[in-house]
Amino acid sequence: MMACRSAYRVFYRRLASNAAEARISTAELRRLRNAVFSREQARQRALVTRTEKIEVTMQGPGLQGSLLIMNKGVSTPYSCTRHLTEWHVNSSALALVDGEPWPMHLPLTQSCSLTLLTFKDSDPVQVNKAYWRSCAALLGQVLENSFKEEFTVDLLRSPELPVISGAFCCDLVLDPVLDAWTPSEEALRSLTREAQQLIQQNLPWEPLEVSPPVALEAFAHNRCKQEEVEEMVAEDPSGKVTLYRCGDHILLSGGPLVARTGLCSQYEVTAVHNLRRGERGLQRRAQGLSLPLQLQAHHTIWRKLRQRAERLVEVAPPPATEATPPAPQQMTSLPQ
Amino acid sequence: MRLSLSTLISHGRMARRMGLGPKSRIDMLRNILTGLVRHERIETTRGRADEVRFYAEKLIDYAKQGDTDEKAMKMATFWLTEKDLVPKLFQVLAPRFENQQKGYTRMARIPNRQNLDRAEMAVLEYKGNPFPPLFAPKRDSDLTLLNQLLKGYREEKEQQAAAKAD
Repeated sequence: MMACRSAYRVFYRRLASNAAEARISTAELRRLRNAVFSREQARQRALVTRTEKIEVTMQGPGLQGSLLIMNKGVSTPYSCTRHLTEWHVNSSALALVDGEPWPMHLPLTQSCSLTLLTFKDSDPVQVNKAYWRSCAALLGQVLENSFKEEFTVDLLRSPELPVISGAFCCDLVLDPVLDAWTPSEEALRSLTREAQQLIQQNLPWEPLEVSPPVALEAFAHNRCKQEEVEEMVAEDPSGKVTLYRCGDHILLSGGPLVARTGLCSQYEVTAVHNLRRGERGLQRRAQGLSLPLQLQAHHTIWRKLRQRAERLVEVAPPPATEATPPAPQQMTSLPQ
Repeated sequence: MRLSLSTLISHGRMARRMGLGPKSRIDMLRNILTGLVRHERIETTRGRADEVRFYAEKLIDYAKQGDTDEKAMKMATFWLTEKDLVPKLFQVLAPRFENQQKGYTRMARIPNRQNLDRAEMAVLEYKGNPFPPLFAPKRDSDLTLLNQLLKGYREEKEQQAAAKAD
């Protein structure tokens, strides 16, 4: 936060009512990020001044050879589904554009072949990954919004767990005041309720490809998010960062997310574990379990899966792992 | 014919009465069974399919005794009206069901005939035929989210059991 202060001093002074108060409230931060997102989105939309047509060839069962004439830079895979049936609109989670995963709400830029992916496909690996990522994003959104205004919540870059590990996770650092806090069952239930409300609202995850300066501006008051942006730019050769907006929450994502929150049906925040003490403070890992609307589990199955998701999911550094230690070692005691 | 309520009260008539009499019935069933052995999947009325199913299974049982067996050859020549099918029975169908003790056929109901009589229809087939399956597989792929979660759960349980056994 200190580093970015010089760059945005003028802007910053106007916002903070008293100079000593360094922190900006969560609501204000949210408003700022939304303003940046909306401005950039409007700018990108204004770039499309002339409507050009592209040809989208639909692939998939029952759609072989269907040709849709869409608008370049305006039409998304979602608008393509709206030319098909209601089933396609509701059950498509992700699109494949020329074999590449593509978010449902990202405008198409050229003539392409389009495949709509659902959870019940014969090979749903891509969708599963995107769904797990989206559920983790939703968990982050819930955690950021459900604490009181006076507590800061920093979301760290969370490891992407494979589905087989049994839970998705979201790493975070809470306010130092809350170091002794261990979430009770009621607290977890209220987090679950928050998530269920977001699912009820059926909010779309709107993607926006931005250049790194805009992303840095959006996360101007959050040092760890800025570092994450820099890492992503260093990893990605194209030099673009994808921001997502869900409701009024802006987030960064390492890959495409599914179309909307309403695709989740069963969703539960199962545990918050203490990991270790990093340079920012005590790192915690929130875990959850979710299933989409098309694949609901019977309550006995759900209970078993839920018990498994309560245990801490370990991420071994070198291989993509699914190992979960059977015995909880460090989750009950607070490391000092 | 299956043992059912109608069999119990059939006063000793153990077979369906079809055709013009007992001889006509056997001839009709012979023709249908010949068709079944030739095409391996046939479509006929439900009563006839049900009736011929018993003989189709029995014929395979005889065929498994081999073409040197006198009774088996007699049965094959009686039930197959087209004699070029006899080698097929012994050389193709009998080896196919070597490891199977019963249940060589499969029957499926299909919609009533769109004819004046609207007869109930059925499909009868020998298992292991080269045609596309009658019943589409309903199972979800193993890679769906729920199945992957369950797979992880099972693997973990196995690990725990193995750790306990050590």
